[in-house]
Amino acid sequence: MDFDAIVIGSGISGGWAAKELCERGLRTLLIERGRHVRHKEDYQDFSSPWELNNRGQVPEDEARRDYAIQSTSYAFNSATQAWWVKDSEHPYLTPEGREFHWLRGYHLGGRSLTWARQTYRLSDLDFSANKKDGHGVDWPIRYADLSPWYDHVETFAGISGNSEGLEQLPDGRFLKPMDLNCAELDFKRKIEARHPSRRVTIGRCAHLTEPTAEHIALGRGPCQLRAVCERGCGYGGYFSTLSATLPAAERTGNLTLVTDAIVESLDYDPGKRRISSVRVIDAKTNERRSYQARVVFLCASTIPTAQVLLNSRSEYFPNGLANRSDQVGRNLMDHVHGIGAIGSVPGFLDRYYYGRRPTGIYIPRYANVTEDGRGEYTRGWAFQGKGERPSWDRALDTPGIGAQMKQQLREPGPWQMVLFGFAEMLPRADNRVTLHESRKDSSGLPLLHIDCTFGDNDRKLAAEADRDASAMLVAAGCTNVRKLFPQLKPPGACVHEMGTARMGLDPATSVLNGHNQAHDIPNLFITDGSCMTSSSCVNPSLTYMALSARAAHYAADRLSTGEL
Amino acid sequence: MLAGAVFLLGGAAALMRFSRPGGGNGGGKSVGDGPVLSAEQFALLEQVSDTMVPATDTTGAIGAGVPEFIREMLGQWGSAGTREDIVSVLEAIQQQAWKRFGMDFQEMPPDRRLAVMKDFDAARIGSHDGPYRKFKWLVLIGYYHSEAGATHELRFELVPGAWRACLPLTEVGRASAFY
Repeated sequence: MDFDAIVIGSGISGGWAAKELCERGLRTLLIERGRHVRHKEDYQDFSSPWELNNRGQVPEDEARRDYAIQSTSYAFNSATQAWWVKDSEHPYLTPEGREFHWLRGYHLGGRSLTWARQTYRLSDLDFSANKKDGHGVDWPIRYADLSPWYDHVETFAGISGNSEGLEQLPDGRFLKPMDLNCAELDFKRKIEARHPSRRVTIGRCAHLTEPTAEHIALGRGPCQLRAVCERGCGYGGYFSTLSATLPAAERTGNLTLVTDAIVESLDYDPGKRRISSVRVIDAKTNERRSYQARVVFLCASTIPTAQVLLNSRSEYFPNGLANRSDQVGRNLMDHVHGIGAIGSVPGFLDRYYYGRRPTGIYIPRYANVTEDGRGEYTRGWAFQGKGERPSWDRALDTPGIGAQMKQQLREPGPWQMVLFGFAEMLPRADNRVTLHESRKDSSGLPLLHIDCTFGDNDRKLAAEADRDASAMLVAAGCTNVRKLFPQLKPPGACVHEMGTARMGLDPATSVLNGHNQAHDIPNLFITDGSCMTSSSCVNPSLTYMALSARAAHYAADRLSTGEL
Repeated sequence: MLAGAVFLLGGAAALMRFSRPGGGNGGGKSVGDGPVLSAEQFALLEQVSDTMVPATDTTGAIGAGVPEFIREMLGQWGSAGTREDIVSVLEAIQQQAWKRFGMDFQEMPPDRRLAVMKDFDAARIGSHDGPYRKFKWLVLIGYYHSEAGATHELRFELVPGAWRACLPLTEVGRASAFY
């Protein structure tokens, strides 16, 4: 046996699985389909605006031709271009009129480099939601199962935030919170006075405000308030695979890293009821080879994980590996996105801020928690947002040129407040990922077909949240309040895709058990977003971290006792 | 209420002329199939961007290299459609100059250039004109994200190192050039 463990995928989930397995003394192979990236050296985070290619703009023809979907991200620019796949080289299929935005990069660290770093715990409101209202299947775990693992990952990752004592948004092991600015403090006072059932707090984020000895030992330092995070951060100011879990795994001496290796399928040995090998295609040479280990962690991210399982067909699993339930690839969820409003904040013209804070405000879910949804919808939403003073670019919407304009733009513009909604999306079996019968991608893998739409409840939540965003801005005294989005963004646009290999109690209706272990295959664990049984309305990455660490320790325990 | 004062102030300030580095008219740099802008178009671009962002107590668009930046962007970044849009904006400005004062924009004294551009800007921003908005964006990002524009005219710290959430504006100074 080459290795004790193989981890497929080096993003947030795979990085965590590799770190924990290595730290438990297991010889671990980490397989990444994309190219190698050097922490610090390969980032453009020390470029000033005038040093960036085309001032940060990707050439229009190139963006349209090669990055038609990736370029819709706010984080897509000439300094981050290497972190996005070319859509022209990595296509997928969607039904006519049913767009799905799949945003991603193929490189070491995956989306841990480009994520928005917002970190929230799920609560029992989330873990019991499916059971309570009958959508999807029941989660096999509750908050108490995950709470110590949230503690574990928060302590290592470094999460800045403020404790609020809310049941629907459990507090964590927080580093010092970043402060609200003047407009946000005023907004908080007014909203909490008007709506005692709502709370405005600073966005919890994976940034080191006060690094601990553990962080410093990994070469990480405090966040420098540059807000160029998506280029990669040479200070290690925010959590990524490259800044945190990978160096932690490497220093154990137990890690072997292979990049440019695309996992094609997993071989199943029906006699032993185990994954016997991981088949890969070399991305550079197209050569095929395979690796063996006692346990496999599939952390390729929600859509590729489904692709690998569905592509691993055998006599024993004719519909795809671990797919006796026919749930692999189904129940694809995102958060409903394209909700929000903006308004002008009167006053505070003599106040400003210094630094570029990499997080905003957060309004935890209140719908069907502290406020009744009146039976019109189930679940709820949360808001992220910020108060800010726009700079020179306000002149694009305001007439004015010449010396007078220059003089005016020396001062920041009047304050404005913006809110973005993130609504929970229900699991629905017909939102699914399948493999095309005949068309192949450039590596020879079957092309993915993604068919995903918002349902009635999803749309109701979005409409309510959209109204509330405007209403709260008005209630806080904002003027010129207007909706930000004429329509919802397509599913996928929130980049929180999950659900395609869900956890559950019943092997007949779910893929994974309460330890992220495939029901049928004891040595296969899946801890990326595909395991999610429901979507909650909070950003999911922290939960993937906690589930990955928990599953890795469970697997290591079973390996040490010989049960695996 | 401020509009009149704005006009007078702007007009007065724009009268302060300054010399152009190099003195040349730019000449069209050849990219792809031909020059992105003809020598004449580039000369017009120089005068238009200079009128929009003149030198005051800080450098203006020409000092910050905005015309060269825009020419480079049209060669390396802009699509054929964008190049056409920008050229059409320049042509429309020239037409406006002829209509109003019967001469080339470049031939006019600065106060007339300012008058033409001020009205042109107000009309095009007012009508949410896509090509002009793109043009104005090129001029402004060319200026405010240049080293001179970001660090002398406005404020830019590569490494702020701290977040101070609520300060007197006077203590911070000018607007941050980079969000």
